[in-house]
Amino acid sequence: MATSILDLNSEQTAEASAEGDDLRLVEALRQASEQAYEELLSRFQQPVYTLALRLLNDQSEASDVVQEVFLKVFRNIGNFRGQSTLKTWIYRITVNEAHNTRRWFFRHRRREVELDTSLEDARNWKEIIPDRSRSPFEEAFDHEQHLMIEAALEKINPIFRDAVVLRDITDLSYEEIAEVLGVSLGTVKSRILRGREALRDELAGSLNARPALRLVPKTAE
Amino acid sequence: MSCEHVQELISPLLDRRLAAGEREKMLAHLQVCRKCDEHLEAIQNQRKALRRMDCAPVPAGLTAQLRVMASHERERHLSRATLAARFRYWSGRMELMVDNLMRPFALPFAGGLLSALVIFSVLVPSLSFHHNFGDEAFFTSPDGEVVLVDSRGGYVQAGYLDPRILPLNIAIPDNSNAVTLTVDENGKVCDWYVSRGQLTPELLNVVMFSQFKPATNFGLPTAAKVNAVQQVLPGRMRS
Repeated sequence: MATSILDLNSEQTAEASAEGDDLRLVEALRQASEQAYEELLSRFQQPVYTLALRLLNDQSEASDVVQEVFLKVFRNIGNFRGQSTLKTWIYRITVNEAHNTRRWFFRHRRREVELDTSLEDARNWKEIIPDRSRSPFEEAFDHEQHLMIEAALEKINPIFRDAVVLRDITDLSYEEIAEVLGVSLGTVKSRILRGREALRDELAGSLNARPALRLVPKTAE
Repeated sequence: MSCEHVQELISPLLDRRLAAGEREKMLAHLQVCRKCDEHLEAIQNQRKALRRMDCAPVPAGLTAQLRVMASHERERHLSRATLAARFRYWSGRMELMVDNLMRPFALPFAGGLLSALVIFSVLVPSLSFHHNFGDEAFFTSPDGEVVLVDSRGGYVQAGYLDPRILPLNIAIPDNSNAVTLTVDENGKVCDWYVSRGQLTPELLNVVMFSQFKPATNFGLPTAAKVNAVQQVLPGRMRS
């Protein structure tokens, strides 16, 4: 019991500290401090890009969304009242921008087909360079798994996908997700549950334990 | 607890959002129900796989673009901070706009102006002529010097005053003799009549021997009339 009280206190202290950091950063941004712009980018460009990428599953679209998000953040930082955390405010802008992009995509580019670039070609070189600390099998397995999950995420309802991505990839709490999506806590719970179930149906058992390495005997030629 | 209910609670269980009592009941069910346990394991694996996707490397180009954008936005923000800064910003933009607009024209304009000046200064000596846009410019009366014959039969210039050649529009004085001459385009007298007083030998000399510069009309020689006037001195006047 004592431990849980201590945990609660430390969580509250961390929250207060984060809130203080946010307010300081926002104030510095309002004063147009160069350092503040740097700090905002270094803190948020990675998570915002990841979120946009997972919501859209397209690198170029995600890059465009990230630029739009930061443009809005820079221009509207004066309107930030501190009613939510800076993180949830920025994530909310990201989710809205991703929705707008997705809507635009479905209206205009649905019928476009890439001619000469495969998914493999479109990937960043950093993603292609092998990680020497892991075995090729693990690397290939993870890669395959990522592709499967990306494909499955793309198939599920965008409303559920947003909730699942925010919870399981971006690791937001239910309360933060409710703020980002602008819905009630109950709705968040329901969307996460349904999203996970939909994802499980799409993946249909492919993410169970790693398959054993099978050696297929072949006759010598 | 039914399996359906337990499967609905798997998600809150993984997110630690179940009350202690409900959690205990659920765990007890999972220990005896293989189907629900497999369901839990599938969702857990799925979560683990999703968590491994939490860090996609940001493209280097995007990072650079964001830094450039941040720099522009900061400048924009600073330019709107005060009225003076705003004025400086807009005047700078206007200056840049005018500069950008004029720059493509500046070189051709300067070159054109310079070449026009050179060409004009080269051609102007050959183009220079007397411009006089008065009445004389279009029509000039005949003009000339009165020539007399001396005692030896040679031509001599007559005196300045007697007789004088006057254009028709100048009135002839009362106490004078005058002849009106018609001078052709070659400067020769082709016709004449006494317009006042009487014909004196001096006036006759003028009629017969004087050479005129012909009248001009738009620069071309033409025939015109002129008066030769000789003032009658009191001593010489004939009654």
